[in-house]
Amino acid sequence: MSYLEYTVKAVPSGLRKVLYLNWPLALLLTAVASIGFLMLYSVAGGSFSPWAEPQMKRYALGFVAMFLVALVPIWFWRNMAALAYLVSIMLLVFVELFGTVGMGAQRWIDLGFMRLQPSELTKITLVMFLAAYYDWLPMRNTSRPLWVLPPILIILLPTAMVLKQPDLGTAILLVTAGGLMMFLAGVHWAYFAVVLALAGGTIAAVFQSRGTDWQLLKDYQFRRIDTFLDPSTDPLGAGYHITQAKIAMGSGGWTGRGFMQGTQSRLNFLPEKHTDFIFNTLAEEFGFIGGFSLLALYVLILIFCIISALQNRDRFSSLLTLGVGLTFFLFFAVNMSMVMGLAPVVGVPLPLVSYGGSAMLVLMIAFGLVQSAHIHRPR
Amino acid sequence: MNRTALRPLARILEARSRGENPDAIERENLRIRHEQMRDRARTRAEGRLLVLGIMFFCAFSVIGVRMGTLSASVASEPRAQATGASIIAQRADIVDRRGRILATNMETHSLYAHPQQMVEPVRAAKALAGIFPDLNEERLIKDFSGKRKFVWVKKKISPEQQQAVHDIGEPGLLFGPREMRLYPNGSIASHVLGGAAFGREGVHSAEVVGTAGVEKYFDEQLRDPAREGAPLELSIDLTVQAAMERVLYGGMKLMNAKGAAAVLLDVHTGEVVSIASLPDFDPNDRPRPPTEGNPSDSPLFNRALQGVYELGSTFKIFATAQAMELGLVNPDTMIDTRGPLRWGKHSIRDFHNYGKSLSVTKIIVKSSNIGTARIAQMIGAERQKQFLGSLGFFEPTALEMVEAKGGKPLLPPQWSELSTMTISYGHGLSATPLHLAAGYAAIANGGFQVTPTLLKQSGPKYGPRVMRPEVADRSRMMLRKVVTEGTASFGEVRGYAVGGKTGTADKPKERGGGYYKDKVIATFASMFPAHDPKYVLVVTLDEPSENSGPKPRRTAGWTAVPVAAEMIGRIAPLLGMAPELEPGKVAGITLTAN
Repeated sequence: MSYLEYTVKAVPSGLRKVLYLNWPLALLLTAVASIGFLMLYSVAGGSFSPWAEPQMKRYALGFVAMFLVALVPIWFWRNMAALAYLVSIMLLVFVELFGTVGMGAQRWIDLGFMRLQPSELTKITLVMFLAAYYDWLPMRNTSRPLWVLPPILIILLPTAMVLKQPDLGTAILLVTAGGLMMFLAGVHWAYFAVVLALAGGTIAAVFQSRGTDWQLLKDYQFRRIDTFLDPSTDPLGAGYHITQAKIAMGSGGWTGRGFMQGTQSRLNFLPEKHTDFIFNTLAEEFGFIGGFSLLALYVLILIFCIISALQNRDRFSSLLTLGVGLTFFLFFAVNMSMVMGLAPVVGVPLPLVSYGGSAMLVLMIAFGLVQSAHIHRPR
Repeated sequence: MNRTALRPLARILEARSRGENPDAIERENLRIRHEQMRDRARTRAEGRLLVLGIMFFCAFSVIGVRMGTLSASVASEPRAQATGASIIAQRADIVDRRGRILATNMETHSLYAHPQQMVEPVRAAKALAGIFPDLNEERLIKDFSGKRKFVWVKKKISPEQQQAVHDIGEPGLLFGPREMRLYPNGSIASHVLGGAAFGREGVHSAEVVGTAGVEKYFDEQLRDPAREGAPLELSIDLTVQAAMERVLYGGMKLMNAKGAAAVLLDVHTGEVVSIASLPDFDPNDRPRPPTEGNPSDSPLFNRALQGVYELGSTFKIFATAQAMELGLVNPDTMIDTRGPLRWGKHSIRDFHNYGKSLSVTKIIVKSSNIGTARIAQMIGAERQKQFLGSLGFFEPTALEMVEAKGGKPLLPPQWSELSTMTISYGHGLSATPLHLAAGYAAIANGGFQVTPTLLKQSGPKYGPRVMRPEVADRSRMMLRKVVTEGTASFGEVRGYAVGGKTGTADKPKERGGGYYKDKVIATFASMFPAHDPKYVLVVTLDEPSENSGPKPRRTAGWTAVPVAAEMIGRIAPLLGMAPELEPGKVAGITLTAN
């Protein structure tokens, strides 16, 4: 179904669009971001600088961006999808050649007023491009091998470049989000089964080979994997983050120590307390109740995305909405698993809460797309 | 599902007949087909979404449950020893029999320079020479301003020195972490421990290798990561060792000796509880081996383990013991002691003239050379060789130190009948004080050969039997009499029933043949308590001379014996031995009532 087939007249136009915005979603986003401001204020020791104030400004900027993106008809964005993808690939190449090296990885382009992280942008453009691809592709071709190949390449190209930066977390997110997009688009089960079986087989083979004479990895590589998978074996080295993060959560208990009373973050035991590990600060200060409430807010955002997608008969819109929701889900699920020691630490921020410019802006633009799809849905 | 036909003939004909445009039918059907397709796609998409939704739900549940368990968990700090493996010293500690540290590691820093990165090389060199007076300023300036990229300045520096170097503010001066071996007790047990030095050195670490003593003997074991830093437990007792060294040092000074050695051996386990050699050194700053002079005069020389001496009359007890073992004599057998005993152009004399004859016991008590030589004649060369060999006098001791194999006994080239006689009173065969201690331990423990060891043992460890228990028993009674009524009367320590035998041997000249008239090796080999010995103590003084009388006295009874007695008096309580009454001496008890 293409937007050409529905009655465009029924779509709100002009300022009327504002009324048809998915307001609950916008409010939820603001609520989550506000929790972020609160936590950034707290970890700075009760101060708006250095984190809370810039974060609020960025959120304001992001909100405006979301608004503007939402007002532009979704079909425009559909036509821009390929271009956006190409631009983000070019930015990745650019960052590879001229980017600023920070925290041991080459990730940023310094724009003066903010540092742009093209890998963040890629997460959205990839989803956009895949949605557009499957919108364009006739249904019956979806599962044909020849037509399954292009999206795989579309996913793997930016993944490889991000991996080279190196940013394992983003690479995992890209592959997972891309794969799930293909799954939602209706690619045949068998493909996923084969890929999963191959991946599982390879991993099993690598681990089986340990200690035999056909060992596939060197001993020290295995040891690295061990620490990566189970940081608790090295509580003062690689596992330091996680150990401290767990202590923070344990000290928070059910109701928390109270706003600005978290010792782990206040006394700097907790590393990256304002970025990746901000959730632990929250859990320490507001306890299980606080942490669970944030999780509930995230789930609500996701549910609103799914409802919006279900209501939308336009294939691109619905795939895009689901894709954005999916990316959002992966962000917070990976981050929360990571800071609670369920998953290895790979460096994924908590969406809308962690301090960080480009991630926030990109996410808001993505929700702008979701809003645009919502406003301009066929009726 | 059947696809909707786009132009069903019947309807088209019908429409045509009604004059309508049949294309409308096709459009209509196309729309229906599209809708069907869309519905199919939608159903599938909804199925997929449902699967995804289930995955989401599972993820949420896991995260939520985890959040709950973590919130319910009690915060506990990580324990440091989990990382121990990487922090644990690269070299294991050495501890004494009670776990007290004899050798451990200390973190320190090395100082090196990257002259290419230096801002002011000359100023840095001058400042360094000020901090480390042993550094040569000109040489440093030359090193720093030359083309060299890397210069070692100091291998280990103290924290104060590091701060001072830091304060120079020269970016080209750099520190590297490393571990150094530390011997917290200084010179105590220095010969046992030996010492360690840096092996391969890097900027970030340095290998510590043993250079002598147990450090070298157990080098591989101490460095073995598989042992996870388990300390090496020695048989040495730190307090006993310290007391022994202190008394030995005082005795050496008092007796004007140039060197001294002492060994304390557990007669049942073979454990060397303490072993000392003077002069000694500080293993933290081990001196270089001497390049000139007699190496046996160097502090590095371990007299107790490496020094082979003719041990004199201390050997006599082996002759009488063997003769009793062979049934040739008993303690009361009278032996002809008329002298001098001539053999070829040699003649054997006694210190005093003991008259026509003496009992075997008296021969030991009065230390008659002639009497012992006659007993040795009865035994014969072959049997004597076999017996002394079984006591370990022909091979270096098996003590776990690299120096042990340097203590190889000197044997006569031909074991003639004359040799048999002289060896019986301790001349013509040179062995170490440790050999002697092991030999005496066999008498002390009831007749079992003993192998001395430096490793802590868990229980008695006997070698093969070398004499009958009765023989050992009688020999011990003789040795006890040496102290109560013989040459070692200064050896009596109340409550410890010391038994032992003195030995004074003239020192052979280094060049040419013959012996010095005024240089002796004085030895006292003892065991306590004599009725049930637990320990054997051998004290040897090198060139002692006791000058309190009108003439210098050099015999062991005047030199080594009082030193040994003082040592036993100090050591026995440290070993947990309470003074006790000797059995058979109860007659002297006075009962008092008050």
